[in-house]
Amino acid sequence: MTKLRIPALTRRAVLGAASAAALAAALPVPALAATAEEARAFVESLRQAVFDNLIDVDVADEVRVARFRDLLTNSFDVPTIGRFVLGRYWNVATPEQRQEFLALFENMIVSLYARRFREYSGEDLQIGQARAVGTNDFLVSSAILRPNGPPVAVDWRVRPADGQMRILDVMVEGASLAVTQRQEYAAVIQQGGGRIEALLEALRRQQG
Amino acid sequence: MLRPTASRLVAGSLLALLLSGCALPPKDPVARAAWEEANDPLEPLNRVVFGFNQGVDILLLKPAAEVYHGITPDPVEKGVRNFLRNLRSPIILVNDLLQGDIKAASVTSSRMMVNTLFGVGGIIDVGEETGDLPFHDADFGQTLAVWGVGEGPYLVLPLLGPSSVRDATGSVVDSLGDPVSIYLRAEDADALILGRTGMTALDARVRVLGDLEELQETSLDYYAAIRSLYRQTRAREIGLEPELPVFE
Repeated sequence: MTKLRIPALTRRAVLGAASAAALAAALPVPALAATAEEARAFVESLRQAVFDNLIDVDVADEVRVARFRDLLTNSFDVPTIGRFVLGRYWNVATPEQRQEFLALFENMIVSLYARRFREYSGEDLQIGQARAVGTNDFLVSSAILRPNGPPVAVDWRVRPADGQMRILDVMVEGASLAVTQRQEYAAVIQQGGGRIEALLEALRRQQG
Repeated sequence: MLRPTASRLVAGSLLALLLSGCALPPKDPVARAAWEEANDPLEPLNRVVFGFNQGVDILLLKPAAEVYHGITPDPVEKGVRNFLRNLRSPIILVNDLLQGDIKAASVTSSRMMVNTLFGVGGIIDVGEETGDLPFHDADFGQTLAVWGVGEGPYLVLPLLGPSSVRDATGSVVDSLGDPVSIYLRAEDADALILGRTGMTALDARVRVLGDLEELQETSLDYYAAIRSLYRQTRAREIGLEPELPVFE
């Protein structure tokens, strides 16, 4: 009896191993390569959303601005970017200061970029390759094609989180917008005597 | 009797200017860390020079660039740019060699020949048009960087604009060592030297027409924004692997 059982177990083990191998072959290999493509597809979908909702559409300014803000908060990780931009002063800021800064920062981005879509003059975004950078981020290259002028190289730093993609930084011809903003705001604080309040005042004045 | 006093006066004034232009590092540790990261100990002086440069730009350079851009057809502007770039080929070649970049040096020397012979003295960038010999710039500041020299404190140079201790030194060496400049100086061709400098300034200003104004309108601290952008684009020009910013 013992002699008969061993072959049965062995057969089950072999069958089990075979089906496991078949299952592994059916899964996309490896999972990381798929995500780089996802990052690229994400920037592609952002481009499409901009064209569908913001460019050349006959809507009132407030509607365009509201749509831009929605697109911004959904596609960009504004809180993380804001925290990076405030830099070393984030740690010494009070919760109220942090909150106000993030709100002012988001408003600044909206007022800076939303109006640009009104004056559209035939530009397009040509999306290139995506590659993995850092621990779990991706860099998607692209170029803004302009009717008058050479193309502008733009790289998008994308991070997957909670099954969603979010943009952390935009690099224009190699210059990181996040780094530039961070260094500029650090200077505003420095010029204001090292007070975060100086930056908040300047931002309020800019938007007022 | 007069000369020693005069030179002492000049030296004393320069020293006073330099000292007043220095900022004392802040005492607060957070502010101190930010100050060191900014690496701009001459900030007060730099801001004054920056303001002066802004004035010259508003009064002279920008209007001239706008007129130049307005009346010059695009192909002519491009031709001027190509010609000026071609004039730089000798000094670019020297720097390519100093950096030990043989591949870049061969591209530069090929470009020099092809563009001068077949590009009407460099007006047509044959190398770029065919796509085989793209343009790249190389200056002595970049060479120093490749040799491992750090950029040093930020400097705003009168008329020349944003720079660093390393890059300013590089500019001086370049202008002294540029074969074209040496030749023009030897021939006493002051008008040509002036013309070349003027056209270089105009061409550079035209390329950023609109962008600078927009940056100024939208930034809280235009001086700091320029300082940041200068350093980032300079690092990219030098070809150093950029440090990706760390997001929490």
